[in-house]
Formats: sequence, C-alpha cells, structure tokens
Amino acid sequence: MDRFAKYLLTGLICIVALGQFVQVITRYVLQVPVMGLEETMAYPTLWLYILGSVNASRENTHIRANVLEIFLKTARAHTILAIIGELVSLIVGLWLLTWAWDFTRYSIRTWRESPTLYIPTFYADVALVIGLALMMVFTLYHLVRHVRDLAGEKLA
Amino acid sequence: MIEVALLAIAVLVILLTLGVPLPYCFGGALMVMYFVGDVTMKGNMLWGFQQLGNPVLLAIPLFVLAGTIMSESGIAASLLRFVSAFIGHIRGGLGVVAAVSCAVIGAISGSGLTGIAAIGPILIPEMEKRGYPREYATALIANSSILGLLIPPSVTMIVYGWVTDTSILACFLATLGPGLLIMVAFSLINLWMARKFPLVLDDKPTMAELAGEATRRGVHALPALLMPIIILGGIYGGIMTPTEAAAVSVIYAVPVGFMIYKGLRWDNFLGAGKEAATAVGAIMMMILFSMILSQMFVLENVPQQIVGAIFAITENKILLLIMINIMLFLVGMVVNDVTAIILIAPLLLPLMNAIGVSPVQFAAIMGVNTAMGGVTPPYASILYLGARIGKVKVTKVIPPAMTLILLGYVPVVFLTSFWPELSLFLPSYFGY
Amino acid sequence: ETLKISHVRPQDATVDVELRAFAEAVKTATGGDVELELFPANALGDYTTVQERISVGAVDMAVQPAATAADRRMQISSFPYLAANWEQARNIYGPGGAVRETMAGLFAEQDITMLAAYPVYFGGISLNREAVTPGSTEPNGIKVRVPGIKSFQLTGEALGYIPSPIPFAEAFTAVQTGVVDGVIGSGAEGYYASFRDVTKTYIPANTHFEVWYMIISNESLSGLPDEDQAALKAEAEKFEATRWTVAESDQGANEQKLADLGATIVSLSPEELAAMSAKVRETVWPQVLEDVGADWGQAILDQIAK
Ligand code: NA
Ligand code: NA
Repeated sequence: MDRFAKYLLTGLICIVALGQFVQVITRYVLQVPVMGLEETMAYPTLWLYILGSVNASRENTHIRANVLEIFLKTARAHTILAIIGELVSLIVGLWLLTWAWDFTRYSIRTWRESPTLYIPTFYADVALVIGLALMMVFTLYHLVRHVRDLAGEKLA
Repeated sequence: MIEVALLAIAVLVILLTLGVPLPYCFGGALMVMYFVGDVTMKGNMLWGFQQLGNPVLLAIPLFVLAGTIMSESGIAASLLRFVSAFIGHIRGGLGVVAAVSCAVIGAISGSGLTGIAAIGPILIPEMEKRGYPREYATALIANSSILGLLIPPSVTMIVYGWVTDTSILACFLATLGPGLLIMVAFSLINLWMARKFPLVLDDKPTMAELAGEATRRGVHALPALLMPIIILGGIYGGIMTPTEAAAVSVIYAVPVGFMIYKGLRWDNFLGAGKEAATAVGAIMMMILFSMILSQMFVLENVPQQIVGAIFAITENKILLLIMINIMLFLVGMVVNDVTAIILIAPLLLPLMNAIGVSPVQFAAIMGVNTAMGGVTPPYASILYLGARIGKVKVTKVIPPAMTLILLGYVPVVFLTSFWPELSLFLPSYFGY
Repeated sequence: ETLKISHVRPQDATVDVELRAFAEAVKTATGGDVELELFPANALGDYTTVQERISVGAVDMAVQPAATAADRRMQISSFPYLAANWEQARNIYGPGGAVRETMAGLFAEQDITMLAAYPVYFGGISLNREAVTPGSTEPNGIKVRVPGIKSFQLTGEALGYIPSPIPFAEAFTAVQTGVVDGVIGSGAEGYYASFRDVTKTYIPANTHFEVWYMIISNESLSGLPDEDQAALKAEAEKFEATRWTVAESDQGANEQKLADLGATIVSLSPEELAAMSAKVRETVWPQVLEDVGADWGQAILDQIAK
C-alpha cells in the first residue's frame, strides 16, 4: 500500500512538474505556441491534491491543532480525545460527501468540457467524491482502531 | 447573519482545539452556516473545486517538493558548508551560520520547514559539540527556518496573493525586507547569547586558508547556489511565471541531487514525492472547504459587517494595527500559516483599505505574523519538528525560542506594521 | 427580494456604475420589491463559475461574457471577425440579431434567462513594447498572452503572433516581467481595467466583438411575482437600449484613456483590417466551425450574411 502510494503520488507530481517545464521550454526556447497543455495539466493536478489528501487520511497525518492534547496527561484521555476527533470527522465528512455526490451528478448531467481540447471535466471532478469517500473509509478505520485501543486498555 | 458567522468561527475553533483534522473543522463551520444560517450549499462544491484548479496554487506542491529534495539530496548541506566557511570560526559564528543558511535555503524553498529539516540534523549536533546548549541550537534553527516563508519564494505569499487578488511577485518582495531584518536580528541576538556559552573555537584561519576553503566549498556549492538564481532570476527576469519557476526548480534539483550531490536515491526520491504530495493534499482539502466558508461570508456581507463592528470600537489607525497584530498573534498560536491567511486576509482586507494600509503592506504584516505562528505554542509545527529533529523535549525548547521570538520577531512585526517603507520599498522599486 | 448580481469589473468601472443605475431603476419600477446587490470584480468567482452557479440557482444574476464549458456552441458569441463595424454588430448581437437569439436559446438550455445583451467593445491587441508591422499578418515573433479559448489562440496565431496561454491570475505579472510581450483577447476597456500600466501600444485590430449578457437564473426569475418579472425585463430592455447608444463612444473614450497614459494607439487602414479579417475567416473559421458543429454554425453565419 505504501509502495503504491509512493509511486502514484511521485508519478503525479512529476507529471505536473514536467508539464510546466515543457511550457517554459516551448515558449522561451522554442518560441512556439502549445495549445491545451495548461488545461490538460489541471487533471493530474487535481488528482494529485485529492489523492495526497486521501494519503494523509490513510497515514493519519492531516494537519491538526491538537491544543487540548497538550493539557491531557493520560494515554486513556488521549485515546478518548482521538475517538471524539474521528467521530466528528466522520459526521462532518459524510455530510460533505453528500454534497460532493451532488456535485458529481451535476458534472455528469452537464458534461462540461475544457476550452480547447474539449476534455470532459468530469474526469477531474469525480476525484472529489472518490477522494472524500476513501477519506471516510480511512477515518472509520482509525476510529475502530482507537475504540479497540480503549477497549483493550479496559480489559488490561 | 454576523451572529451565525461568529458561531461558525466558534465551532471552527472548538473543533480545532479538539484536534479534529483541519478540513473537517472547516466542514463543521460550513454545517453551522447551512443548518443554522440557512445559507445554501448548492453549487458550492463546484465553486470550491474550481478554485483549486487555479494554476497559481500548483506552485505550492512544487516548491514544497523542491524543498524536500534539497534537504534529502545534500544540496542544502552544501549551502550550509559554504556559509560556514566564512563565519564558522568566529565566536558565536556557528549560530550566525544557522540564521544565514536558513535565509539562503529560503531563497529556494517556499516552505518554513525546509531549513530545520535540511540543516537541523547536521548543525544541531555540530553546535552542541562546539559548546552551544542543544535546546538553544534547536530553538535558533527552528526560528530561523521560518525565513523560508519570508525570503521569496513563499507558499504563504502565493496563497495571500491568490485570495486577495494581489500581485504575487509584489507580495514576495514585501516580506523580503522584514525577513532580512529578522535574519540580522537573530544573528545579533546569537552573538550576544553566545558570550555565556563555553564555546570551543577552531584556530583562527589565515586569510589564505580562509580564501582557499571558501573557494573549495564555493565550487562544491555552485550547483546549489545556482538554484536561487534560476528561480528568482527566472521569475523577475521575465523568463517564467512563479508556478513555472517552481517546476523548473524541481526539474533542476532532481538530477543535481542524484548525480552531483548523490544524496538523492530512488527510495528517498519516491519518499520525497509522496511526502510533498501528502502535505499539499492535506492543505488543499482544507483550502477547498475554507474557500467555501469564506465565499459564504462574502455572499452574506460578513467582511463589511466585521469592519463596521471593529470601527464601532475605534477608528484610530495605530490602535487598530496594534489590535490586529495581537489578534494575528493569537490566531498564529492555534492555527498554521496557510489557514490563518485564508481565514483572515479576506475578512480584514476591507478594513485595511479603509485605514489606508495597502494590500502589499498587509501581505507583509500577514506574512511575518503567520510565519511567527509556526514557532508560537501551543500549535507550533516548526518548533515541534525542530524538537523532534534535535531530540530535545518541547518544554526545553520553548524558553530559548521565546527569547528569540520576543527579541527577534516581535520588534520586526511592529516595524512592519508601523514603517510601511520596510515592506513597500522593494515592491515599489520593482514597479508594483 | 434581494437579487445578488455578479460582474467582472472592479467597483466604479463603467459597467459597475451602469448597473448601480439599473438597480435603482429596478427598485423604483418594482415599487421597492426587487433590490439588486452588486458583487463586482468576480467576487463570486470568474465568469465560467458564476454562469454555472446561476444555472443551479446558487447565484441570481450576472453581467458577463458567455462561458463555453457547458456548451461549446456558445463560442459563437466570440466568433472572430464576425462584425466589422458597430452597425453590423448591432444587427448581429442587438435585439433580434442572429447570434443574440441563438445565445438566448443556448442559455435557456442551462436554466438561464438572458435579459439583455451588453455590447462592450471591438477587441484589440495590447503590447508592452512598440508594434512590429501591426497591419500585416506575417509572423512577427511577438509573444502574447491569450485566454484559454481556442478561437483567440487561433486568431492570435493567424495575425502573426506567438500565442501563449498563461492563466489570467499570472497574466499581468507575465507581461510586466516580460514572460510575454502583450495580451490578446480583450479590448481597450479591458486593457485599461487590467493592463493599463503595461500597455505601451494598443492595436485596435477588431479581433472580435465583445458582448456580455445580463443573465438571471430561471429559479430566481420565477420566484418573483409576475408584475415584478415584467418590470425587471422592461428595465433590462431599457438598460440595453441605452448601452447601445453609448458603447461606441465608450470604446473611443477608453482608447483615449490608454493614450493619456502614454500608450501609442496604432491606426490601421480599412484595407489592413480587411486583410486581417480575410486571413482569420480563411484559417480560423473552419476550425471553430468544426468545433461548434459545422452545419449548426454555418446556418447562423448564413443568416448573418443575408
Ligand atoms: Na522562501
Ligand atoms: Na503557533
């Protein structure tokens, strides 16, 4: 899984870097117009953002402020706080997911296209609903993990 | 509606405090606006997602990746050795090396983390060996690391320019003056602090030895020193846009890291790519929902109402600037730099216009305050990373960090607010 | 009822001033029932986003160009060199005009009602340097920023420039630092609004006729009582009629504003303009027609040619 994430994310980020680089070379060195490169790059870029965020959910490395954690001393209190955090994430995330689904249906219905190459924007738009759904799966996984920790503590 | 907006912000802060990941904190605020304030969510995902597609934002992952590659590959280390050839041997010089190296690295990296990540592992043990207390060395490098956000290019200034529709190049230049001032301040504070440390010094080299060493290290550092020239020269010399410059810096750093400095290998290159993508993914998901929230605020005229409410307290420019700095300091204590800018800049920009602070100067005010937020506890991501790298307890790093903040940052923060030329001189020199 | 209306120019720009007057008129005509709240300077998103938000009923109204993402046929609105002068423009884009009627139909398919057309200007080329043979269509080696719209990219190339699709957010800086030497796709008014500090030369090449539309979400419109709907439509009609009487002199005034800032306004002869038009019609039209549907597009062009 980690290997797969490494190849996928590094591949995506390199594609977008190369795309921008080609833009400079064609304009500054070769002085020829390239049409459609910029709009094409939007697709791997948006997937990069969304899958990066999914990976942050998988690794549980999303940015958190964790102010309260500093004042809590016991491991048990930390676990309870983590459970509350994951529960809130799940509730809010599922609500956001319904709106992402609403957006996806809109995207299918209108079937919009990029301005010069007419690539359907759906192929970028759908990243959002897929990404949020995966994020919810990983959030649920972390929630279950924390609850098990808490139960294990009680037994021990 | 301002009551609902304040409730949404209150919920946001509560969720932050509970340690909920940032995207869902903003999601929670959206739920308040939707369920309590009856503001529509229709079409908002579409709007937010299209904001993410803005090519300007693409510079962020690329500058972050370039920074990670620098620290993995040995590019940053060669810069460090070059800087220390000049000042490493004088009393307290190693601390100055830390501040100056972070500034040089900052001219390539757009993030505040690169400095501590790249030179912390090398310089902290070295400084300790030479007699600096380990926690002091850690605090100094972590604080200097923030220069990555003040010396252009800068992720926070890209975001500020994007949300406020201000020239990103002008914003880059606006924080350069304050950034250099902070570098000088840290160097001086360090020289003063170093009097008390039992420092072990090398024999003072002769002029010839110094010249030889500097040349040798300079040649070694040449490919690394070319990077800021390519990036900033490329941008200000009219060859490429900031986003393209970020891509070029990655394309340049990869072969240099693999073949010249040889610190980059297939496995840590893949790791760097994943790290950059993950860090940026987390930021982008947060930006998506925070943009929707601030769009709801715009639709409901919240910024104007906030300006009205603040003006009801006072219209005195000096008092207002002091209040805003205190508020930004408090915000910086609990949220990270990009979040603070996205949340605050659009809300306060109308107020700044009303009291005659230009958007470019406000960029510098936001820039120094949010950068400082990276080292002010309780939420001090850069300081915590430093403590992890320096292998010291967070509680031990905080006191020396506080000294540096109070004597180094805070005066510059106030100078930035009350001396417009500090931030406006360079932008106006370049015609912005 | 308060309707949120978006437009693409900063506060106090011509369209902003005209819309404030329109808002007053609507308020009076509806006896205070309908108020308009202005959101200038793309505060609700760029015109592509706003059109989609209007389509789903999340934003009420806008005055802006037509976005082609949801329907590529909308490119007919910015077809290059379709009109050669203001009289022709009025026949094509004004009340009863072929393009205007077509656009009203296309908007309707997106649940949007077109209330008025808003003629803005004939497009031109802004350069941050002196022009090279501005009347010729031979390659001149000058790099210009084009918006990400196919017909503009092709037109730029046909007129001898090297088009470079740089995002609007980076366009001003790109011209200022010299990443590109100029901009194509807007007109005197647009260049004055966004590029006045980097416009050293303005070439009024009449590349296309820029027309915006006052549009309203069907949901917002049907939410109004019948008499308010009628009043709104009547005021929009007056708004457009007034605009047609001032648009041409407004274009001249904007060229003068650029000149006052020190820009050179190139003057092109009718023959040079005709040659440019011929080149674009020959090389660009077939490609754009292919994109919008050759038969569908040709039918509209035939209607105009009559
Ligand atoms: Na930097
Ligand atoms: Na902080």
